[in-house]
Order: sequence, then C-alpha cells, then structure tokens
Amino acid sequence: MPAESRRRLTALLTPPALWLGAFLVAPLLLLSAYSFRAGVGGALFRDWVPTLEQYRILLGTPAFLRLLALSVGIALLVAVLATLFAYPVAYYLVFRVRERAGVYIVLLLIPFWISYLLRVMAWKVVLGEGGAVNSLLLSAGLIHEPISALFYSRLAVVVTLVYVWTPFVALPIIATLYRIDRALLEAAASLGATPWQRFWRVTAPLSLPGVLAGAVMVFIPTVGEYVTPSLVGGSSGSMYGNIIFDFFGRSANWPLGAALAVVMLALTLGLVGATSRLTRLERFIG
Amino acid sequence: MLRSLRRFPLLPVLVGLLTACSKEKRPAATALTADATGTLTVLDWAGYEDTSMFVTFHRAYPKVTVSVAFGESDADIFGKMKAGADACVFHPYTGWQHFYVRDSLVQELDTTRISHWSEIPARFKALGQVDGKQYFIPWDWGFTSILYRTDKVPGGIDSWAALFDPKFKGHISMWDDGPGAVTIATYVKGWDETAITDAQLAEAEKMWTDQRKLNRFYWSGEPELVSGMKAGEIWVAYAWQGAYNTLLGEHVPVAYAQPKEGRNSWVGLYGISSRCQTPDLAYAFLDEKLTAAQGVNLISGFAYGHVNPAANAMVTDSNIVRALSLNDPTVLERTRFTPLVSETQRNQFGQLWARVKAAQ
Amino acid sequence: MTRVSRRGWLLPSYYWALLALLYLPILVLLVFAFNDGTILAFPLRGFTLRWFTELFATEALMRSLRNSVVVAAGASLVATALATCGAIAVMRFEFRGKGLFLSVALLPLYVPFVVLGVALLLFLSTVGLPRSLWTIAAAHTVVGFPYALLILVARLVGFDRHLEEAAMNLGATYWQTLRRVVLPLIAPAIFAGWLTAFTVSFDEFAVANMVVGREPTLPVYLYSQLRMTARLPRVIAMATLIMAITLAIFFTLLWLHRLMARPPAATSPVRP
Repeated sequence: MPAESRRRLTALLTPPALWLGAFLVAPLLLLSAYSFRAGVGGALFRDWVPTLEQYRILLGTPAFLRLLALSVGIALLVAVLATLFAYPVAYYLVFRVRERAGVYIVLLLIPFWISYLLRVMAWKVVLGEGGAVNSLLLSAGLIHEPISALFYSRLAVVVTLVYVWTPFVALPIIATLYRIDRALLEAAASLGATPWQRFWRVTAPLSLPGVLAGAVMVFIPTVGEYVTPSLVGGSSGSMYGNIIFDFFGRSANWPLGAALAVVMLALTLGLVGATSRLTRLERFIG
Repeated sequence: MLRSLRRFPLLPVLVGLLTACSKEKRPAATALTADATGTLTVLDWAGYEDTSMFVTFHRAYPKVTVSVAFGESDADIFGKMKAGADACVFHPYTGWQHFYVRDSLVQELDTTRISHWSEIPARFKALGQVDGKQYFIPWDWGFTSILYRTDKVPGGIDSWAALFDPKFKGHISMWDDGPGAVTIATYVKGWDETAITDAQLAEAEKMWTDQRKLNRFYWSGEPELVSGMKAGEIWVAYAWQGAYNTLLGEHVPVAYAQPKEGRNSWVGLYGISSRCQTPDLAYAFLDEKLTAAQGVNLISGFAYGHVNPAANAMVTDSNIVRALSLNDPTVLERTRFTPLVSETQRNQFGQLWARVKAAQ
Repeated sequence: MTRVSRRGWLLPSYYWALLALLYLPILVLLVFAFNDGTILAFPLRGFTLRWFTELFATEALMRSLRNSVVVAAGASLVATALATCGAIAVMRFEFRGKGLFLSVALLPLYVPFVVLGVALLLFLSTVGLPRSLWTIAAAHTVVGFPYALLILVARLVGFDRHLEEAAMNLGATYWQTLRRVVLPLIAPAIFAGWLTAFTVSFDEFAVANMVVGREPTLPVYLYSQLRMTARLPRVIAMATLIMAITLAIFFTLLWLHRLMARPPAATSPVRP
C-alpha cells in the first residue's frame, strides 16, 4: 500500500480503533480473565489463583448447556420470522410509498423512544389473563377460560421478540431494495414477466444480502436476550441471558456469570463466522 | 426544639450546663453545627432519595447536600461498593453484611457517636453486628409471608407449603430469588439453613423445579406482583407486607398469612464505607435515620417497619397498621430473621435457582 | 415505471396494521396515565391529573431526563463520527485487519448489555476512573457504534468511487474530497446513523446502570422507581409526555417541510 494511502487509512482507522480498544476490548478481556477466578471475595485483581472451576461448573450443568442451545434456537426462529414479517413492510415502503418512505420509517421507530419495559407492561394489560383480549373473548363466549399462554410463556417471548424486531429488520432490507436498478425490472416487464415473476426472479434474489444482514442483525443479540424473557416469559420462559443476568445481578457470582458469557460469545461468534463464510457476507461488505 | 434554640440563644448554654451535670452518659458531641456544608454521598435503593427519608438530618443540616446513587439489588450494591463506588453511606439488607466486612468495605461503628442508639431494641442492633462488632445500624424491616386473595382461597392459608400446592396451579407467584427460595424450603422441611447439607439442597431443588409447573411467573418487582393479584391472575404469592398494604388500599380482598412455620423477616442496614471522607456527615446521617420523626415517614411512605418503636406508635393509617401488625407486640417473636450464609452457600443457592429456571 | 399492483390495498393495510400494533401499548399507557390508581390493571378508578403534577414536581426525574438527552446527544455524535471514519476505512481501503476490526466493531451487538456493563465497571475501577455521566456517554458510544457503522457501510456499498477520483483529479486533496464530496452525499445515512445511536442510548439501561455515578439517566431512574408501586404512575405519565412531545415535534417538522418549496432534486450519481 503506498505511503499516502497508509497515512489516510491510519488517520481514519485510529480514532475508532482506539476508542473500541479502550472501552470495549479491554473491559471484555478483563471480564474474561475474571472468569478464571474462584469467587468474588478479595480485591479485584490481587489474591487470585487462576482456576477453571467456573468452566467446570458450567460444562457440568447440562441444564445450562441445553438452555444455551434452546436460546440459539429461539434466536434463529425470531430472526427468520422477523425478517419474513419485515419484508412486506420494506417492499411497501420502497416500491409503493417511495419518496415519502422516510416519514413512514420514522413513524415505525418512534415507539422505541418509550421505555421498553413500560410498553411490555402495557401489553400485559391487553394480553394477560384478566386483560382486554381475554375479557373480550370470554364475554363473546368464544372461550370458557382465559387463555393463559398469551402471556408468561415461551410463546409470548417469541411473539414479543418478533414484534419488537420487525421494524428494525425492515431497515437493511429497505436499503437493499432501494438500490435495485429499476431498469432491470422494466426489462423483465418488457420481456413479458408477470409482477409475481418479476418479484421472485429479480427483486427477491437481489434483496438477499439485505435480508441476510437483517436476519443476522436480529439473531446475534437475541441469543443473549434477557429483558423480554424476564418480562413475559413466566416461569418457564427463561433464556440463557437470564441466567447470566441472575449471576451478576442477584447472587453476585461474577466469575460464573463471566464464564457463561464467554462461552455464549464464543458460540455466537463461531456461528456467525460460519454463516458469513457460507454466504460470503463479506462480499456484501466489500 | 431546634427552632426554639434559634429564638433563645441562651437555651443551648442552659442545656449544655444541664447535660454536663446530668448523671446519664451522653454521646460525644459531633463536630457539626447547623450551618455545616458539604456533600454526603449515599448508595441507596430507589425511593429513599426523597428528603422525607432523612427529614431530620435535612432539617438539622440544611446546607448539606445529600447525593443519592441507586442500586438495583443487594448484588448490585455489593458489586458497586467493591468496584469503588463514590458512596460514603450504603444500604444493604440482612444476609449480605458479612461480605462487606470480609472485603474491608465497611468501617466499624463508634456507637457513642449515635445519640439515638439507646432507643433501638437490642434485637435489631444485633442484626447489624458481625463477629460481635457493630458495623451497621438497622433501619427498616418487614415481613415475608404468603399474600393471598381471600375470594379465591376461602379456606385461608396457614403454611408455606401453600406455595407448592397443586390446587393453585397457574396462580402462584414466587419471588425471583435463589436464597429466598432455599429459605422457604428450609421452613417447610424444618431444616437449618446455615447448616444445609447437599442432600437437602438437592431435595430443595427438586421441590422448586416441580413447583415451577404451578408457578405463573417469578416476580422481581412489587408492581408486577400487585397488578397480577389485582387482576386475579395470582391468588397465592410470596410477598412482603408492602404489597399487602398496596392491595388493601386498592380494595382488593387479600389477607397476609401467619404460617405455622413462622413468617420470615428482613432488616435493612446502613453502614459507613471504609473509604468515607466525610465521617462526621455520615454519623449524623445515620443518627438522624434512627429518629422516630424520620421513621414515621418511612412507615407511611412505604409500609415498611422502622426500628424505633416510638415511630410505630405514631402511625395512624389503618391499612399500614394491619400490614405491619403494629398493634401486635408479639408479632416479631413469631418471625424468623434471615440468617447469614457463607459465600459458598450463596453461590450454591444462586446456582440452584439458575438450574430451576433453566430446567427443560 | 413499474406498474402499481392492482391489489394495492394489501401492502398498505399490512403496514398500518403493524403500526397500530406498535402504538397499541402506548395508547394503553396513555389511558393509565390519567387513571386514579397505582396498579396497571383494570378496572379503571377515575380520572386524575395528579401524576403529571407529581411528575413535574419530581426534580430528580426531570434532571434524569435532561441527563439522558445530554448523554445520548454526546454519545451518538461521537459514535457517528467514529463510525463514519470506520466505514470509509473499511469500504475504501484494503488492509489485513479488516475482518478483525469489523468483528470487534460489531461485538456490542453480540454481548448482552449486562455483561458489557459489568466488564466496563471492572475496567473503570481497575483504571481508577470514577463513574459519572461521562462514563455512561463513553459506554453508549460503544453501544451505538455498530448501528451507525452498519448504516454507513450499507450506504457506501453502492457509492461510486469515480466521484472521489474526479474530485481529486480536479485538484482537491483527499480530505477536501471527503469533506466536500463524500460527506454531503452520505449525509442522510449519517443522520440515520446518528438518530439510531441516539435512540439506542436514550433508552439504554443495563450498561448505564453499571457505570452510572451520582447522576442517573432516565432509564436508570425509571427502572429504579419501578420497584415501588406508588411511583409507577408518574413514570407512565413521563412516558406518555415524551411520546406526545416526540410526535408533536415530528409532525411539526413534517408540516414545515411540506410548507417550504421543495428544491429541485439533486441528481444523485447513485443508481436508484
């Protein structure tokens, strides 16, 4: 690389690299190191004999590992569903609404300025056993007992996560659809393709990178999700993230929490790495 | 009395002379005067940042700023103190006090600097001690028992075993806490929590894993619990008396059990950080926290008990009196205070609960 | 032009149905903001405005709102600036560490915020940095960075390199080219990135709670208040107020935008 280019690259790359190094990499390395402690007692980094105790506990508790696998599965399901539900929204905004799409997008995102916790509490009023939906169905005679699975269940967790992610997943799909050359579609039309064929054979394949990027964008954080399960999951809707949170936030068992986090990070990174290898995501990035 | 001091400047001189001649041993005077300035940093739970929660301190030293940072749970407060929180005074609850002592995060208290110390019953004072030394002052206390809807459970409840009763399937709510769960298991089975064996822990884990099928949700905040009980979704719950008081105020038909195994009780403690730079302010703060005038605000505001018996006598709200059984002087004899467990045990209980929640 | 599908009602209904679902809980909150009771459950107990008066009287709540706005604004600005640098570096240069940089940049998306929060707490106490709004802002910069980066990278994918070459051939330095050619053209993406980073920071709780000093942000204050039933209504009142103000600002801007004469659309070199 010519010196000129190198200088420019350094100037551009150093600020973000330094910032991330200080406030992301270093803390995470410290935390990983903390996972090799036996307990929280004693000063932070003195009085410390490295040990694999926490990993022994983790790997020796099948319930934790099964929950991790389950959480990955839930994340996958949510990613697929959210992307599917988001696609028509993205299509509508890019091909029908067109120039005014910005307004429609902002309208989609404004609710996210309201505390997530409050919005979920409000949903409980609607979906809970004594809530509006059940009251309506009961008084209409359609059911004889309130449906308890609408809330405080694993189903509720999946539904809520899909509901929350759909507006966000629409964004990368919108970005990709926007860049599709209309000339291609016109050419297909003039060659006699029906609207459905035009979509299926031109638009859809070209939008695939955006779809994939959106799905990955949902999948990654959902594996470690804990807020939604704690709000709507009930007794059996816990995900792996809840266990991590409990170790940090309830029993002050930081080493074990750190070990669980490290394992989850390694797994997620591995999965995404394998996926991007398969789909050549970096081709999309350039 | 403070206002009259300003109006009659000779009064303090008289009082000083009288106390000097008094036979009673008086506490050492603090160096603070009414126009003391400075900032006192406190790490506390949300709700206690209001000036009503340290009203006498504020009145005595109006120029001192009390700066309150929040903790979300005992584990959160402990973690923040360990990480060097800028807090002179902090507020843990029973079950955690010895961890602070072991990590040298708290300083031993000189109770002669706390003028209201003699007003506090010995039972409460003892809970602030670790290894016989006074590290904390007690402040707030309350009960844990079973809160239930009287219209859904007409027969009443008299045992902790109700939390495991299949009759209430889908309508039970337990607090999301491992140590709390283990404590209840020991009550039901009659074990000693501080000497719990592995076999007993395994049995407790099975009890709670089975109970999960009957449990609607684990509550972590009282609003979640009370809205569930008001909506009729929850009939039977592990609850503190604050929830009882709230639901009484909303005219929901509820009762607070007196289980045959005994209720559980907890006490909130205030301690001074070992790195506190303003110990004078801290001692004055702790001292004023023990006054009955301040205590009344706590009781009226949160339906929590205060350690100064004089405060209890001043409460008039009938729901609160009911919730805290303030008219029953023997109620504290029939309750069991949360014991101290070791870090190993705390970790064991935490992992037990994690396994209960993770079980497929 | 692509012909508009004859079944034109399906897609719009889908969008508006989704929007209705998104705003439904907010409507519920609105109802309870005026309910004379402290529990979020039916039946309603009468109309009252006292939660709003309590809200404005709660100085700590208003201060935490101000803190959140300040922190979010600062953090999102820095995050967007850093993300712009990073996106240009990644999209215009070939270098060996590119994969690593991207993986690290996207890390905040993987890591549960509670883990990130604890990690930062450990780091700050090891380094000896006291916790404050500054530390929250620094943490939120990290949290918002991947979102801004992804948006900018997506924008730069189709960005025609020839523009920059043309500008430099005409005598501009590289930095002038960036400043006067690239940045203006990707300005909408920068704005989108900034807005996303702002939104993420504004409602972020888990990390902020760990690295908070004496001054809380709104979510930290809110979540702590939710411990007590009596405090819930004023929190709901605050939420509905924020919603109302946001929508009001948004529609006002929209109306103003329509009022002004639209300038001729700049010919974008990017193929639509």
